[in-house]
This record gives sequence, structure tokens and C-alpha cells, in this order.
Amino acid sequence: MSGKGWIGLGLAAGVILLLAVVKAPLTTPQQKPSGTTPDKLVCLDCHRQANIHTNEGVATSRQFCNQCHEKEDTRRMVDGTAVSLQVPAASFADSPHRFDACIHCHTDVARSPHRTETGAQCRGCHSVHGEGDARSPHLRVDCQACHFPSEFVRMDKAAGRVRLDRRDDRGRPIALVTHGLADVSSESSCGRCHHAENTVGAPASVLPAKSALCVLCHPSALTVGHPIFWAALLVLVAGLLLMLRFWFLGRVQGEEHALHRKISLSADALWLTLFSRRFFTAARVLILDIVLQRRILKESVQRWSMHSLIFLAILARLGLSLFTGLVFAFHPDGDLALALIDKNHPFTAFVYDFLGLCILLGVLWAAVQRFWVRPAHVKTEIEDNVALWLVGALALAGFLTTGARLLLTGVPAETAVHSFIGYPVSRVLSTLPVDWRSAYPVLWYVHALLGAALIAYLPYGKLKHMFNVPLTYWIEEVWGLKKQPRV
Amino acid sequence: MPSNAQRSEEFIRFSPLDRLLHMVVMIGFTGLAVTGLSIGLSSTAPARLLIALVGGAEHAAWLHRFFAVITYLCVVVHGLWFLYYRLVLGGRLTGPHSVAPSLKDLRDFRENLDYFLGRRSAPPEFDRFTYMEKIDYWAIFIGMNTMGITGLVLWFPEFFTGFLPGFFVNIALVLHFFEAVLAVLVKFFLHIGLAHFRPAVYPADTSIFTGRTTREKMMEEHPGQWRSISGSEKPTGKP
Repeated sequence: MSGKGWIGLGLAAGVILLLAVVKAPLTTPQQKPSGTTPDKLVCLDCHRQANIHTNEGVATSRQFCNQCHEKEDTRRMVDGTAVSLQVPAASFADSPHRFDACIHCHTDVARSPHRTETGAQCRGCHSVHGEGDARSPHLRVDCQACHFPSEFVRMDKAAGRVRLDRRDDRGRPIALVTHGLADVSSESSCGRCHHAENTVGAPASVLPAKSALCVLCHPSALTVGHPIFWAALLVLVAGLLLMLRFWFLGRVQGEEHALHRKISLSADALWLTLFSRRFFTAARVLILDIVLQRRILKESVQRWSMHSLIFLAILARLGLSLFTGLVFAFHPDGDLALALIDKNHPFTAFVYDFLGLCILLGVLWAAVQRFWVRPAHVKTEIEDNVALWLVGALALAGFLTTGARLLLTGVPAETAVHSFIGYPVSRVLSTLPVDWRSAYPVLWYVHALLGAALIAYLPYGKLKHMFNVPLTYWIEEVWGLKKQPRV
Repeated sequence: MPSNAQRSEEFIRFSPLDRLLHMVVMIGFTGLAVTGLSIGLSSTAPARLLIALVGGAEHAAWLHRFFAVITYLCVVVHGLWFLYYRLVLGGRLTGPHSVAPSLKDLRDFRENLDYFLGRRSAPPEFDRFTYMEKIDYWAIFIGMNTMGITGLVLWFPEFFTGFLPGFFVNIALVLHFFEAVLAVLVKFFLHIGLAHFRPAVYPADTSIFTGRTTREKMMEEHPGQWRSISGSEKPTGKP
């Protein structure tokens, strides 16, 4: 045991001895009844610091708090009403916090005056978590508002946070003394905020988490989630398989049924490309022809600009989403992760709005080309319209949803304005006589359905080009085939 | 497959899947050995240096589990390939072209010893895989499964002690450590010796990376396989 330990042990023994000596007069009938503060205290009764990193320290520290907080008549007066501050011991029975000291979480109460500024702290031990894995709509909600059993929540306007209310629905003061945890595994527990009459700025219904399919434009969890996304995924995979099947339809050396041989030969070709000098050719094609669209640029600057507004913006959103996921997975409590998953953070709000605007402008430009300018080489087919309208409607619905979200959650203007499209939209929306608590989920589902439809449609219509054009470029360059101009 | 002559003198020895699995297992096994031994021998200076380099014991443990997952995924894919090979392609899992052990391996071993001792003029007629290569393969195939089981017990002790006595975790820890030492030693001596330091292949046998072997190499190292492909006469092999 270290020197400090011996001193501590000596000190503890001294305290016990001291208590043994002074205990007797404290418990004589002349004293006040138990539960109130004895009027003769020894300094070290209170002014001691338990080492809460040991089991003994946790036990003695809790014992100290419980001297008052296990008693029924420990109370405080709020507006003339006595509110009990007795912490029910039963609420710790199954709690994961049953081996923690009170001051583990209530970090600023062991002092005089006995009052808290910060409330109980969760993030000393726990990381922030979001909707699924990244991107959290609940960053402005206190942990306790969901995870503690009290049903009453309020919007703290000054702090801009949703937190547990210290009054019940009839305005009577209540104490938040129950330390058990709410069961958040079922959506019914979300009902304390997510109902039609809530005053905390929550949508009237619980919305599903974003799906992994949304990662093209939004940071999302690694789960598929809601059935509409499952349906979209199934349609997408079926389309991809059909496309693959088409590629492997040809015969190899006259063999009728040689799917295995074809796969094996293409895998071998892929392997030989990856581990040879041709890899650098493929990398060059990836950067110049596929990402930067050099071939389109050579054909027409105007077409390149239009296409890049859509393509590069989506690519940038995909890159940012993946980056967010990575940062959040490895360091969820860092400032960077918190900024990236916060839709209202100035950087995040601005960048996503800006890229969304690029997509929308690109789609508008394409529509103008296709329906009004009509150059000779543009042949509009029904598949072109579907793709264009889907992307355009998706971006529009996205901005509407953003505007409604800013309006509904009451983000202060100085923060919301960084969403430089979403905020004006929210001002326009605010003039409409609509209950956004109920309307927001509708907008959200419209946006999600459009997104799911777009993902499902990728391998069927003209958007198929995002799979087979890069492949064609690679095969042409790597195997030295003849290049042909593309429309 | 061996009968597939790519160019005039080249034969496919390993399929693209085999090459990919080997590459992932190579990275995974090395990563497992480095992180695992750093954790297991944490009091030594090199281990401390390595742990510091990856940013602490927690990260080393995370990396160890990451490498474990990718390595064991290869075992799973390899097993699925065997199922596909047997059930869909109708291939044979035993016989001279397979890695399955056979009586011929014992005979090859004796004849090879004879050759080393000068009692034979030529090494035995190895088929597609020699007995040394088979030991090398089966050592890691069985080893990855047993290491996987003990590793899972150490990774999820709460789950396993739900139905196993607690001392199984201690046993798993001991087995995991000593089998790790064994595996590293086996790979170091057997695999490095076989695939790098043999005079015939020094400095490295590249066929697992290119997937290809030449006719000369096949005639030299796997004459049995060459004979079954080309249908040539069996040399006597007697002094």
C-alpha cells in the first residue's frame, strides 16, 4: 500500500474512532428526531473525499448520501409544496448503476451549498449515440429525457434542450428521484415526446432510422431498417443480378453451360489487372474518366457541368457520409464526430444544403435542356424522365423536409440560418396554417419513399449507366480496346 | 483447374479465390500474431513498443478481433467453396488432386527420407500437393478453428459461462496462448521453410500469388500431377 493509502487508512480509522466517541451524545433523546441534521457535527462528517474508484469508496460515499436521501422526510419546498427527495432504494435493484457512487454522475453536488448546476452527467462514462449509428436528431435532447422513467418532458428554451420536467402535466412540482432506467427497447417509450400534442418540437409519430441505402446522401446506420427500404434493397439486388446475368450470358470457347468457367476467367482477369502495372491504368481511369468525367468534358463543357452538378454533389455527399460514419465509429465523443452528426452544426448544415442545391440545379439544367432547348443529340425517352423527376423530386422533398424540421424543432434562427436553403423554406412554411408535428412525418415519408424508389430504380432505367459506363471505361483502357464516343 | 493451359507453358495451380483467401489469411494471421503476442507477452519491451504504436492495449485488442474476423471469414468462405465444389460442380474432395491426406503421403514420406539418405536417386512422385504442403495446410485449417473456438470464449465470456463452468475461460486463455505460440512456430518453420527457403523456390514460391506454375516446375515438384495431366510414362525412380 502506498503512503497515501496508509494516511487514508489512518484518517478513516480516526474518523471511526471520533464517531464512536461523539456518537453517544448525538443519539440521546434530547436530540432532534432522526432524519434531520444533527446540530452537533464533526467537520470530517461531511468534508471528506471518498475514493470512488474503489468498491469501499463507492459504498462509503453512497452511505454518506443515503444518510439523508434514504429518509422519507428529506424534502425541499417548491412553491409551498413539499417535494420528497427520498431516493427509492428499489430503483437501484436491477439498475446497471447499482455499483456506482452517487457522485459518479452527480458530479457537482458534493459541496456547499448542496445544489447542482449541471444535473446528472452521463457522458463521463457513456458515448453519444445517434439515430442508428451516426447522424442524430436527438442531440438536443437530454439523455434522461428518454432513459429515465419520468413521463414529463419540457423544452428548455434558454438551453435549447429537451429535458425532464420538474413538474407534472398539471403543473405540480415533482421530484425526479426514481433511479431506475426506462425501457427504451420498444417505441412506446418514445411516446412521451412523439405524440400529436407535444410541446417539445417532436414529430407526432416516431420515424424510422435512416437505412444504409440512404448513405448516398446521408450518414446512416449499417442496417436496412424500415420495410420500404428492404423492398427497395430487394428490387435493387434483383436488378443487379439481372445485369450480372446478362454480362455472363455469352459463351466461352463454345461451351454451352460454363457459368463457373466465366466467373473463374473474369476473376483471374481481375486478379491479373489488380496485381500488375495495369492497376495504375485502372486507377487513372477511375480518377480522370470516372470521377472527373474527362470524356464528357472533352465532348462538351456544358454537358460536363450539368452532369457534374448532380454527380459530383452526390459523390461528395456519399464521401462525407462515409467519413462521418468512420469518424463516429472510432471516436464518437470527439468534436469532429459531434459536428458531423449534428444536422444543425454550421458546417454540416451548410455543406449538405449546398450540395443539395447543386443536385437540384443540375436536374433543373437537364430538364431545361431536355424539354425546352432540345439539342439534336438529346433523345428523350420515358426512362430519362423517370430518372430526372425522381432525383429532382427527391432533392425538393429533402429541402421541404429540412425546412419543416427547422420549424418544428424550433432551432434558433442564428443556428438555423446556416442551412441557407432550409431556413428560408422554413420561414415560408411557417406562414402556412399546418400543424407541422403531424405534417413533418408525411414529408419525411415522401422523401424516404422517393429515395427508396430511386435506389430500387438504379439498375433498371437510364441510371444503369453508373454501373456499366465505368466498367466499359475500365475494360476499354485496361485491355486496350477501341474507344468509342458516347452520347 | 490444372488442365487449363493458359499460355504454352503455364498452368493454373491456384484459383483466384484461393489466391484471395491466401492473401487475406496472410495479412490476418500476421496481424493476429503481432497483436496477439503483444497482448500475451505484454511485459516485454517489444510488446510495449508495438502496443504503443497501435495506440494502447484497447486498440491492440480491437485490431486482434478485426484480424480474427477477417481470417475466420476466409475459413467460412473456404468451407462454402468446398460445398459448392462438391455439390454444384460435382468435384471430388479426395484423390490425388486434393489436399485430403492419403496413404500415399506416408509412402512419399518414407521415400523422401530414403532420398535424403541417398538410398534413392530421385524424390518420390508427388501429386498436386506434397505431404509437407498438406501438413502446412491442415495445421492452419484446424488451428484457425480451434483458435477461433477458444478466442470466442475469451471474446464473449458472459455468453459462454451461461452454460459452461467459469474455469473454461481460464482453460481457453491457456490454450489460446500456447496454441498461438505453436501456430506461429509451425508457420515460421514449416511454411517459411516450404514456401521460401527451399532451394527450388528461394526466395519465394510465387504461385499462390500469380496462381500459375510452369510445366518445368510441375514436372520437377509435382511429377505425379504432371503425369496425370500429360499422360506420360512413369519414371522408375529406382537407383
